[in-house]
Amino acid sequence: MPNLTINGKPVSIDVDPQTPLIYVLRNDLALNGPKLGCARGQCGACTVHVDGKAARSCQVPVSSAVGKQVVTLEGLGTPARPHPLQTAFLAEQAAQCGYCTSGMIMQGAALLAEKPNPTESEVRAQMNANLCRCGTHPRIVRAILRAASGKA
Amino acid sequence: MKPATVPSRQISRRSFGRGAAATLAGLTISFRLAEAQSPPALPPMIKANPRLDAWVRITPDGAIRVFTGRVEIGQGTLTALRQIAADELDVAFDRVTLLTVDTSRSPDEGQTAGSLAIKLGGSALGHACADARATLLKVAADAWSADAAALKVENGVIRGPAGQSMSYAEAAAKVSLARPVDAAAKRKPAAAQTVIGTSVPRVDLPAKVFGQQVFIHDLRPAGMLFGAIARPPAYAAQLMDADLAAIRAMPGVVEVVRDGSFLGVIARREEQARAAAAQLARTAKWANGPSLFGGNAVFDYLKTAPSETKLIHASKGDAPPASLNHKAQYRRHFQAHASIGASCALAQWDGPKLTVWSHTQGPFPLRGELAKVFKPADVADIRVIHAQGSGCYGHNGADDVALDAALLAQKVPGKPVRVHWAHEEEMAWEPWGSAMVVELAGGVSAEGKLTSWTHDVYSFPHSTRPEAGEGCNLRSAWYLASPLAPQKPKDIPLPNGAAGRNAVPIYAAANQAISTHFLADMPIRTSALRTLGGYFNALSAEMFMDDLAAKAGKDPVAFRLANIADERLVAVLNKAVGLAGWTPRKVERRAAQKELTGTGVGLSRYKNQDCYVAVVAEVAVDPRSGRVRVQRLWSAADVGRAVNPDGVLNQIEGGMVQAASWTLMEAGRWDAGIMTAVDYNDYPIIDFLGLPAITSALIERPQLPSLGVGEGSQAPTGAAIANAVFDAIGKRVGEVPLLPERVLAAIKA
Repeated sequence: MPNLTINGKPVSIDVDPQTPLIYVLRNDLALNGPKLGCARGQCGACTVHVDGKAARSCQVPVSSAVGKQVVTLEGLGTPARPHPLQTAFLAEQAAQCGYCTSGMIMQGAALLAEKPNPTESEVRAQMNANLCRCGTHPRIVRAILRAASGKA
Repeated sequence: MKPATVPSRQISRRSFGRGAAATLAGLTISFRLAEAQSPPALPPMIKANPRLDAWVRITPDGAIRVFTGRVEIGQGTLTALRQIAADELDVAFDRVTLLTVDTSRSPDEGQTAGSLAIKLGGSALGHACADARATLLKVAADAWSADAAALKVENGVIRGPAGQSMSYAEAAAKVSLARPVDAAAKRKPAAAQTVIGTSVPRVDLPAKVFGQQVFIHDLRPAGMLFGAIARPPAYAAQLMDADLAAIRAMPGVVEVVRDGSFLGVIARREEQARAAAAQLARTAKWANGPSLFGGNAVFDYLKTAPSETKLIHASKGDAPPASLNHKAQYRRHFQAHASIGASCALAQWDGPKLTVWSHTQGPFPLRGELAKVFKPADVADIRVIHAQGSGCYGHNGADDVALDAALLAQKVPGKPVRVHWAHEEEMAWEPWGSAMVVELAGGVSAEGKLTSWTHDVYSFPHSTRPEAGEGCNLRSAWYLASPLAPQKPKDIPLPNGAAGRNAVPIYAAANQAISTHFLADMPIRTSALRTLGGYFNALSAEMFMDDLAAKAGKDPVAFRLANIADERLVAVLNKAVGLAGWTPRKVERRAAQKELTGTGVGLSRYKNQDCYVAVVAEVAVDPRSGRVRVQRLWSAADVGRAVNPDGVLNQIEGGMVQAASWTLMEAGRWDAGIMTAVDYNDYPIIDFLGLPAITSALIERPQLPSLGVGEGSQAPTGAAIANAVFDAIGKRVGEVPLLPERVLAAIKA
C-alpha cells in the first residue's frame, strides 16, 4: 500500500507496488496530464517530475516513487497560476492534437529548471526523446525559448 | 428492417424533431421538408441535413448553439467553425456554443476527412448561420415596419434606423428555425468579415495545457472497467484453443470473452486487463494462415497480382515533337499513422441500447457499422458520442476499437468498458497507408515543353472506412464465430480520387494518360493515411519533373514555370523560391565532398482542386553513410480565404514536418503473418534533432473561397526533399523512404 506525494499531497494507494506509476496517476488519481503513449519509454507522453527530474511514468514502478515528490502537469501550474511554459505554449499555440503536450511541457519545464537560458540546440537535444506526430516541433521549441526569455 | 441500409440522416432528422420540440418551447411549427427541390446553390452538407435547426438554434433564453457533423482531430476545426458561425451571426466569438458530434443531436456530415471540414462543413454552417441571422432581422424589420437592409447587428442585438433595438433572444421567441434552410441566404462578403480571417486561439488548447479532461482517454464514468484484446499472432491466424479459466483466475479479471477467434479480457484495472490479454494471446493455440504476399516482395506483388486497371484521365493535344523521352518507376513503402496515443473507446450497454464514446472521424458511419454487428431494432438505439483522441492522420484504429469495447461491454451490461489499445497493437492492427508503385513516362520538346505524360499507379485501397453497403469494415467483426466479411474495397473516382489522387499532373502537358491499377485484395489491410494516394502521386510527378529537367539541362524552377498554366501555382512557386533565395542552375552531379548538399523544389495543388503549396528543401547528405539531413524548408501556400491564418500555418508546417518523417524514415516491415515494426524503435518518426528550420508564407486571397488545407503540404515537401537529395548526389533515389542504405547505394552506383 504505497504512500506517495503527488502534486504536494500525500496519497495512499492500494495497488501492486510494481504497477507502473502512469496507471496510478491516471486511473486511481484521475489525473489527465500524464498520457499513456507507447508504454515503452520511447515517446515521452507520460513524462512527470520525480524529485524535480523528468521521468517516464510508464517506466517507474509505483514503489520507486515512494518518498519522492511526484509532480504532474496539473501540479506544475493552473489556469490561475500557470507555469511560464504553459503560458508560452498557449502564446505560441504550440500544439495540434495536444496528446504529447503534457509530456512536452513537463520535459521542457525540467530543462528550464536546470538551465534557465538554453540555446535552441540545447532545447532540441533535451527534448529529443519526446515525440510529436502532428509536427508541432517548431512551435514547441519557440514556446520553450519564449518561456526562457521571460516573455511568456 | 436492415439497419445497415437505413440512411443515417433519416434517423438524425427524426431525432432532431424530438430535440427541436423540446427547444422551441411554446411553439408548434409544422413544416415539410423540401423534397428533391433543393436549388443547386445549397451547400452539399445542407442538402444532406436540410433543416435550419439542425445547424443553429437561437432560443428565447439568448443561448446561441450551433451544430456540426465535423470532429476535432487536432486540426483546429472546432475553433474555425465557431469563427464562421460567430461571423455570420454577428455575435462575439465567445457567445457561440459549438456542440460536438453526438449522433443523437448532430447533423450527419459523414467523415471528417479529405481536408473538407472547412470547405464543406464550414460552408454549410456559414450558410445556415447567415440564414438564421436574416430570419431574426426580418422579425425586427417586420416589428418596426423597417427595411431589413437598414438594420444592423451588434453582438447579437439588432438595431433599427430610429434607434430601436431587439436582442436575438427577443427575436428568436417570435420565429422558428425548425424549417428547411433557405437556399437564397447570402453569406457576408469577405470584406465584412471580422472573425473569419483572424487567428483566434484554439479553444481546446487551454484544457490540454492544464491537464483538464478533454481526451477520450480521460473519460472515467462511474463503475468503469478496463478491456483489452488478445490479438492473434498473424492476421490470418485462427484460434484453436484457449485456457480461459486460467486467465479468469488472474488478478483483477472480471470476464474473459471468446467469440470465434476474437478474444478479450475485462478487468478492474487497466494494467491488469493488459497483462491478462497479453497472457491470453501468448497461451492460446493459433493456427496460422498463408504467408503475406505469397512470400513475394511487395513491389513485385503490386506489379504482378491481379488488379483493376482504369484510365481515369486522358487528353490529346497538339505538341511539338519530343526532343527527349524518359520513363521512371518510383516506389513507396507501407506507412503508418503512428499516433502518439493509441486508439481508445468506451462502450456501455443499457438493455438494447448501446452508447459508444469514440474519436472516430465518422460518428454516423461508425454507428451504421456497429449496427451491422449488433443489429438493433432501430439504428438510433446505438448512440455514438465523439470525444477527442490523439491526432489521427486518417483511418487508424479508432473505429475498430469502438467495436472491441462494445463486444466486451456486452458481457457486463450497465457498466462502461474502456479499451485503449497498446501502441504495438495499433501499429500491427490499424489499417496502414498503402505501398505504391508509380510509373511515369513523358517527353520534352526542344523548347522545354512537356509533349506527353503518362502516369500509372499501382496501389492497394486507400479507403476502407466504415460506410453503408455489404460487409463490415470493423476489424474484429472478421474474427467472430459468425463473422462479417469486410466490404469489398472500392477506389474513389476523381475529382477526389484515392489511388489516383493527384495523379493528374498540375502541368500543362499535352497528351496525358493517367491510369490506376487497383488491387482490391490487400494482404496487409490498408486505408486512408493523410492525403491517401496524393502524397506519393504528386511526389512521383515532381521527382519525374526534376528527372526531365536534368535530362533537358534545365533549371527545375524554370522548367516548371514553362509548363504551368495556373497563375496561382506560379505565385506559390515564385514565392517559395524567393524565400529560399533559389539559384537557377542545372541539376548535375557534384564532385565528392565530405558532405553533399543540395536544394530541391516541390509543387502541388492538393487533389488538383484544393490548396496550392510550393516547398523548397535544402539537404545535406553524408556520403559515407547515405544519411540525409533536411536543413531547411521554405514553403508558400495559397489556401484561398484562410479562416484562421495561424491554424493554417500550423497545418502547413506540421504537414511539412510529418512529410519529412515519411520521406526519410518511415517504412513498414512484416514477417509471414503480420506487421512487425510496431514500436518507435522499429518504426521511428522524426524527432527534434531531425527537425529542419522552417520558413513559410501564406499568400492571402481573402476574396476567394476557402480551400482544403490539412493535407496540402505533404507532397510538395516530400518532393522538395527527394529532389534536393537528387541535387546533392546527382542520382535519383526513387524509393520512399530515402533510407541511408538506399541513398548510399545510389551514391556508389
